[in-house]
Amino acid sequence: MTLTPLDELLLFSGVTVLVAMLLGRRLPAGWMVTILYGIQLLALMKMAPLGYGGEAISSALTFKVMGQTLSWRFDALSWYFALITLGSALLSSWYACGEWEQRFRQSGGNLWLFHFAMTLNVFSMLILLASGDLLSLFIGWELVSWAGFLLMAMAGGVATKAAMRYITYAMAGAMAIFGGIALVYVSAGSLQYEAILTAASQMSTAHLWMLVILFGAGFGIKMGLMPFHLWQAPAYAETPGPGSAFLGAISSRMGLFAILLVLVKLFGIVNIDSLKIPFTLIDARDLLAWIAVFTIIFPTFTAMKQNDARQLLAWHGIGQGGYMLLGLVVADAMGAAGGLLHVFNHATYQAALFMAVTAVIHRTGTADLNKLGGLVVRMPLTFMVLLVGIIGLAGLPPMNGFVSKWLVYRSLLNEGMPLLFVAAVIGTLGTILSVYKLIHNIFLGQLRVEHDKVKEAPWSMMIPMLILAAIIFITGLLPGIPLAWVASVQQAVGLPVPDYTLGGVESASGSLDMIWVIGVLFAGFGIGALIFYFAGGRSKRVHQLDNYAGGHFLTADVRYQYSDNFYAGLMHLIGGWYRGSFLWLEQSVKSLVEFLSLGMQGLYRRANAEFYLLSTALFVIAWVVI
Amino acid sequence: MSDLIVLPLVLPLFGAFLLPIVMRTSISIGAWIGPAILAYGCWILGDQWMSGTALPFSLAIGGFAPPMGINLYIDSLALLFAFAVQLLGLLFWPFKIDQETARRQALMLLLVAASTGLALSGDLFNLYVFYELVAVATFGLIAASGSSAAYASTIRYLILSGIGSVLTLLGIALIYSQTGTLNLAHLAQLAPEQLNNKLGLTAFLTILIGVGVKAELFPVNTWAPEVYATAASRVSAFLAGLVSKLALLIILRLLVLIFHQPEAVQVMLVLGILGVITGELAAWRAKDVRRMLAFSSIGQLGMIFIALAIPEQGGLLAVLALTFHHLLIKSGLFMLADGWGGAIEKLRGAAKRSPLAAAIFVLFSLSLIGMPPLPGFWAKFTLITQLAAQTSPLYLIGLTVFLLATVIEAAYLFRLAALLYGPAAEDTPIDTIPKPAGLSLATASLFGIGLLAAALFIAPVGDLLNHVAGQAANADLYINTVLAGTGGSQ
Amino acid sequence: MMPVLSLELILYTTALGLISIGLAGVVLSRHLFRMVLALVIAEAGANLMLVLAGYRWDAVAPILTTLGEHPPMVDPVPQAMVLTAIVIGVGIQALAVSILIRIRQRYGTLDRSQVAERMDAEIADSAGIPRDVSQESPLGERPLPSLPDSTVEIRGGHS
Repeated sequence: MTLTPLDELLLFSGVTVLVAMLLGRRLPAGWMVTILYGIQLLALMKMAPLGYGGEAISSALTFKVMGQTLSWRFDALSWYFALITLGSALLSSWYACGEWEQRFRQSGGNLWLFHFAMTLNVFSMLILLASGDLLSLFIGWELVSWAGFLLMAMAGGVATKAAMRYITYAMAGAMAIFGGIALVYVSAGSLQYEAILTAASQMSTAHLWMLVILFGAGFGIKMGLMPFHLWQAPAYAETPGPGSAFLGAISSRMGLFAILLVLVKLFGIVNIDSLKIPFTLIDARDLLAWIAVFTIIFPTFTAMKQNDARQLLAWHGIGQGGYMLLGLVVADAMGAAGGLLHVFNHATYQAALFMAVTAVIHRTGTADLNKLGGLVVRMPLTFMVLLVGIIGLAGLPPMNGFVSKWLVYRSLLNEGMPLLFVAAVIGTLGTILSVYKLIHNIFLGQLRVEHDKVKEAPWSMMIPMLILAAIIFITGLLPGIPLAWVASVQQAVGLPVPDYTLGGVESASGSLDMIWVIGVLFAGFGIGALIFYFAGGRSKRVHQLDNYAGGHFLTADVRYQYSDNFYAGLMHLIGGWYRGSFLWLEQSVKSLVEFLSLGMQGLYRRANAEFYLLSTALFVIAWVVI
Repeated sequence: MSDLIVLPLVLPLFGAFLLPIVMRTSISIGAWIGPAILAYGCWILGDQWMSGTALPFSLAIGGFAPPMGINLYIDSLALLFAFAVQLLGLLFWPFKIDQETARRQALMLLLVAASTGLALSGDLFNLYVFYELVAVATFGLIAASGSSAAYASTIRYLILSGIGSVLTLLGIALIYSQTGTLNLAHLAQLAPEQLNNKLGLTAFLTILIGVGVKAELFPVNTWAPEVYATAASRVSAFLAGLVSKLALLIILRLLVLIFHQPEAVQVMLVLGILGVITGELAAWRAKDVRRMLAFSSIGQLGMIFIALAIPEQGGLLAVLALTFHHLLIKSGLFMLADGWGGAIEKLRGAAKRSPLAAAIFVLFSLSLIGMPPLPGFWAKFTLITQLAAQTSPLYLIGLTVFLLATVIEAAYLFRLAALLYGPAAEDTPIDTIPKPAGLSLATASLFGIGLLAAALFIAPVGDLLNHVAGQAANADLYINTVLAGTGGSQ
Repeated sequence: MMPVLSLELILYTTALGLISIGLAGVVLSRHLFRMVLALVIAEAGANLMLVLAGYRWDAVAPILTTLGEHPPMVDPVPQAMVLTAIVIGVGIQALAVSILIRIRQRYGTLDRSQVAERMDAEIADSAGIPRDVSQESPLGERPLPSLPDSTVEIRGGHS
């Protein structure tokens, strides 16, 4: 048995888990693990041809259990997601080394568990990405779910509560998938992709509907699709800093991966397109698209109301997932490319944003947006990173988020879906508003007295952040780099491929060249600067408190920063729309279970058992015999 | 060689009568009798398995060939169960020395003997006799924990089980009046003509409900929560782990050999579904560990009944996988409950007090929920693929209920796990948190190791179970083995 | 021809009747000892049923007194089985009564619901949990969640 590059990757990943488990209590464990992630990334690079249309690589390892064959393989799709996984793992782990680690340990955190959970997450994600049949997909899926649970629950207290909620949702999703797998197995007679591919083309409409609903719900729960989105924000936000950067970057994308693999590749988006909902004009694809759009809008506007920076980011993470799904279900060349590209882009800026916020927490001890302000003068580099991140998140040029969102919008217009387009734009509006709240309340305005002595984030944390910021900008300038990978993913799952160039895409209906866009943008800045300096270039530095408001001079102990009840005017208009309906729905389900449970306990404990016995006996005999 | 197979049945019975007498003269000698007998029984059965004697074979007792005489029927399934009985008897042996020792140990031997009889017997009336013997031993053992609540739960169980035996006896009488025989093989031969009617169906249903009392069949399982909450953990472990499965074995044999009516299967499916729903939902709200385990065991047995309702070899494979998996897990969990038996709330922070116990609990929970690659996953996988393959919509309802129940199961098991690993309550010092006793913890660890081993060697284990299921599903093999070619003794 | 009320029919009816009486007794009585007695009756019915299953009206007792020719005999197997069943039954009844004595000593009552109540209380006590299902107080906590604040306002406040 010779080891293929895939085996090497999985082997290294397994070794990383072992190292974290056995040596994790020693101080340099963080660095060791980071280096091992680097090695894994190198092993992944050995498979780089996959990202440019290379042949799929199989693992030498296969099992036969209970009449099922388990196998593992990597193709362009797996490679692309694995790249993002390992990249974000490497940078988050690097970020955790050094000062953050020491602080975490001092404040009573279990560092060993943190590293172990992180490595386990990465390992299980690679296993999932490498799955070569539906059964190994499910095994990987469950492993990812439980590894995620470990990472989320480890902080204790609120985090454990959030993790419990997550695992209940995740189990419900897993069981939906399990049921779906059973149905697939019965109709295809095997769980190998090839067999399913042939069986899928002959399935009846009802059968296909059933499978789309089961798999869609199961994978959608992981993605945080409406109405299963409630678990995600608290769970990600309460994870220890670098952990939430990692989870926020990639964890829910495993759901997207699975949707791509099963719904798009195996069942075929064309088949799904043909599923009509009776008596309405919409089909299954429209349904998915509208779910995606609502997933964009509601969580984004929920994010706007958050007062905790991590919660705000986590809620955005849910909303951004909607863009990815939206692009994919439009499924033309540009839309799918946009959706897939957004996975990469989102991972970069989300990780950068979580890291920046964690750096703020590291220095100030809080993420409460009402207790911060003016930090730009103390932490200018962190400010820069956060600025780059939110520009990406809001989807504005010159950062990478713009490219992917532009592609999605463009495809919605091309395919004649104006309503979806408008809805997506509303979502973007909410994004811009809420990220402004984030940067304003943390970095702009009045510096609080207690933060006067705050220093810039340490270099161990700064370097990964800067690397991410650089990636965000570079892939914004040259989106052709990730688009090459995306194109081979599209080829691998059988979607149309756009004509991409180094600077963007070429298309008859509208091209994009970021090199030009950014060139023009910076030229504009340049002209402005020229005018400014030619006009004299006068500027004067003033102290923040050298100012007045309402006729009074300002002092440091009076707060004049407007952060509490941000967007009061807007909330006056739309505040009534926040009804907490989904929360209420969730509570109702829980209460229903509680209520039924109460009844069942009563049945068992208050009952005249003999009476049951006899009445059942008589009833059954009467029912069957007569 | 194969004659020796009666020894695991006879020796414990003999020992049960001898033990009180020996104990009266010397406790130290008496204390060794039981374990020695059981260890010998394990050895004989293990040897039988290893020696590669052609299975199945039938052993006539008393010099008359079946169907006139009574016989033991030994196939892989029976042997596996008999071995499990002896082994668990040894593992759950009541070592504690006090005034009650003699009685408790004698009852345990009696329970083992009767359970072995249940596993091996090839005759309906003998099954009934052993079943009643199991009941008697069980009552004694439950009551032996000595609390008033234990007496009360015993009498409630006794009355319920008494009605069960009346129903069983009625069913047996009906069968006898129709066919004039009670030998299973002979019945299997006659069944297609004589029992494939309403009378036969009635007989099966009365027996199903009668035997179902021990198998925790809904709704005759109301005894389970109170008995498991009051009996000693070892007894609960034996009852939930093994005795319920032996009752299932009777139903399984009857179903495979004699009753093929679709209605019989449907009733079981419906009752199984109801058992899953009620059991898992009730467990969701349970506030003490023992009752949580009891309700969960009701739910799990409901799942096994659902599997039993699939009339094919695949269904039987699912039954066996679920059965042996649940046997391992529930026995292990009840061992942990020895010490952790009280309120769930009291277990806050128990992982710090006893990390091993908490780890084992998490392992068992994961397997129970069906987390791959633990054996529980494969058992559940077998079941759901079989269920999905059935055409009747009732099976799909069963599938749905099964999946939903798993979600609830995960929720309540991991609520407890989160408590274990959470911080201790502020006013409790760490050494007042309950902790499983050393011996029980060691036993539970053994089960944990067994589980992990099964996970590692899942492929051979799966093949083995498939082989066993194939043998057990073959009614013709049973008939031919018993009725042809067996003389007075082999 | 008049329908003959044969002895066989009467006996079968009796057996079933005994079983029904016994089972009804178990379900309906409130006293544990009566329940045990009812169980005895039901068991007697089941045993009678079993004997009848093998009885032949034109035959003699299955005892071989002479070798060679002998008249048709009653099937001996059910009778042997019934003997066994009776022995087991008596054993269990004795056990039941001895347990009843213990319960009577400890709880001072044999009323079925009182015993159940006290057993439940004792289990809850020893486990250290509050009893949430009781016959006196209403069941459990409020089953439905509280409404979100905004809804409460719309529906006219908290009062």
